[in-house]
Amino acid sequence: MLEKFPKKIGYEDPLEIRLSELEALLLSDYRISKRALSILLLQEDREMMEMVKGREKENSPRIFEIIAAAQQHYHQPLSYIISQCRQREASRIAAKVMSFEPQRTATFKERLSKIMMNPVIGAPILLAVLYYGLYKFVGGFGAGILVDFLENKVFDGYVNPFMIRLVDSVIPFKLLRELLTGQYGIVTMGIRYAVGIILPIVATFFFAFAVVEDTGYLPRLAMLIDRLFKKIGLSGRAVIPLVLGFGCSTMATMVTRTLPSKRERIIATLLLALAVPCSAQMGVILALLGDKPMGLVVWLGIIMAVFLFVGFLAAKIMPGELPSFYMEIPPLRFPQLSNVLRKTASRLKWYFLEIFPLFILASIFIWIGQITRLFYFSVRILEYPARWIGLPKESAVAFLFGFFRRDYGAAGLYDLKKVGLLTGNQLVVACITLTLFLPCIAQLLMNIKERGMRMGAAISVFVLFFSFSIGYVVNIILTLANVHL
Amino acid sequence: MKKIAITGSPNVGKSVLFNGLTHTYNAVVSNYPGTTVEVTSGKVRIGSYEFEIVDTPGMYSLYPITEEEKVARSILLDRSVCLILHVIDAKNLERMLGLTMQLQEAGLNVILVLNIMDEARKLGISIDIDALEKELGIPVAATVSTTGEGLDSLRGKIEDYVRKIS
Repeated sequence: MLEKFPKKIGYEDPLEIRLSELEALLLSDYRISKRALSILLLQEDREMMEMVKGREKENSPRIFEIIAAAQQHYHQPLSYIISQCRQREASRIAAKVMSFEPQRTATFKERLSKIMMNPVIGAPILLAVLYYGLYKFVGGFGAGILVDFLENKVFDGYVNPFMIRLVDSVIPFKLLRELLTGQYGIVTMGIRYAVGIILPIVATFFFAFAVVEDTGYLPRLAMLIDRLFKKIGLSGRAVIPLVLGFGCSTMATMVTRTLPSKRERIIATLLLALAVPCSAQMGVILALLGDKPMGLVVWLGIIMAVFLFVGFLAAKIMPGELPSFYMEIPPLRFPQLSNVLRKTASRLKWYFLEIFPLFILASIFIWIGQITRLFYFSVRILEYPARWIGLPKESAVAFLFGFFRRDYGAAGLYDLKKVGLLTGNQLVVACITLTLFLPCIAQLLMNIKERGMRMGAAISVFVLFFSFSIGYVVNIILTLANVHL
Repeated sequence: MKKIAITGSPNVGKSVLFNGLTHTYNAVVSNYPGTTVEVTSGKVRIGSYEFEIVDTPGMYSLYPITEEEKVARSILLDRSVCLILHVIDAKNLERMLGLTMQLQEAGLNVILVLNIMDEARKLGISIDIDALEKELGIPVAATVSTTGEGLDSLRGKIEDYVRKIS
């Protein structure tokens, strides 16, 4: 059964002649067979051409002549001709080994699948997925019930008073006590934000997202909104990184690798940095605006408008061909609970390990900043942009937190709202600005890692200015229109 | 240590197979193409051999278009890889066999894994494994990686193959 030499697929004669010429000219030792290498060369595979250029000093001009000559013979690209030859062979084998029983009529799953991709009936399905998955489950259950329980019952009721008493009786130095249980202390703020606010929100989001993912809904969504995405220089393929961005934009920026062109990757990275709030942020915002449906609508409208406008603009500015879209649509499947749970746990672990040290570090930085007065200095500087967009100066602290992480900043706003410092308008403007605001440090680093220093930094600076500009404009419009949300 | 690389089109269950063979949950699994963008690797003992198994991003062809296909190809062409498991969706045998042939053409050691056999059976598709092995000249295994069906037989085929080539 096992053969030492790989079976050969026969290609058309003109190709075979070129192949044997090429094989004879390739003298170095390569990891893949010379035949396979020659086939890749005929398809003008960049990487392989570079390699051959480097290794076949003498023969390479002749090799490139042959490649050009081979293409002369055909009207279609050689990669097309070659894959056709291969497909004929595959079809021959498949016909020999496969047998089919007569097909029954379309199943329920197949009909549902069609409906999901239909622009008219597909939209309400999308809204239902968003309403129940996001608004009800993540917003209502995660950000509402769970956060309320952990924040107000567990932390405010037990953990914080207990830790404050413990620290007060054990540590005699006020300065050190401040670090642990002060207003911005590691326990009273860092751990409380991470465990009491962010954890339940992110956990419910990742759970809901895993269920949606495993059903196979996302590729269907991609088909559904492909046409809209083409307008902003993206293809339906970009749906997956962008939707994943609602979980964690840092993770999603990494997934932009699945996009075929550099242009699409840049646009997607920009949109992720600017207009896609991560789950933690979104959860806190749902909690902040939950009792103000109109505020939520304004927030959603502005963010969506920014998303489309900036995408549209970026697609106009950046030259490049229109993205083509081809995606395999997997069958709809019933999610396996074990996979959903394990995936949620593994993502949660990734996320938590990423934020937990940062949240504690933030407390330490603020503590050092307070000792050196640098904290008050930075807050005073940030009070200006805060005031420009009509916010009370206390919100400057939340924006300072936002520099660490957007979700951390949003959690800061949550505290301000609790003590009644923000009006409806101010809440909406603050939420909009913070949603658009600079991504967390982790995402900044990821942007630079994936897109390079210059592009990564440029995106971040743009986002910084743009977020405050939009906040400024929205505040003015709300004031002029005499709207009180 | 000998390396085994798992490859195949997006969304055929490479990561589930990886998790099944390594008894871990290191590779994230979803029902859409392109879940895996980074390489995951794990150790596994099969028979008397110890292997490092590498899960790779999906690729349609040895001629790469996207960045993650380039990543996947560079792993397959790494000299330390002794065996490639080409995973395909059994329902789409005809469309996916092209990559098997390309891998063979490149002179790599390949085992073809017909995955998602349960869905193929439900559609009334049956595949003659012996005939396919004869046509291609390589071992072929049929699996349902989500339930673990066929994994033992696959392990046996891996062991036999590695014994023959080393």
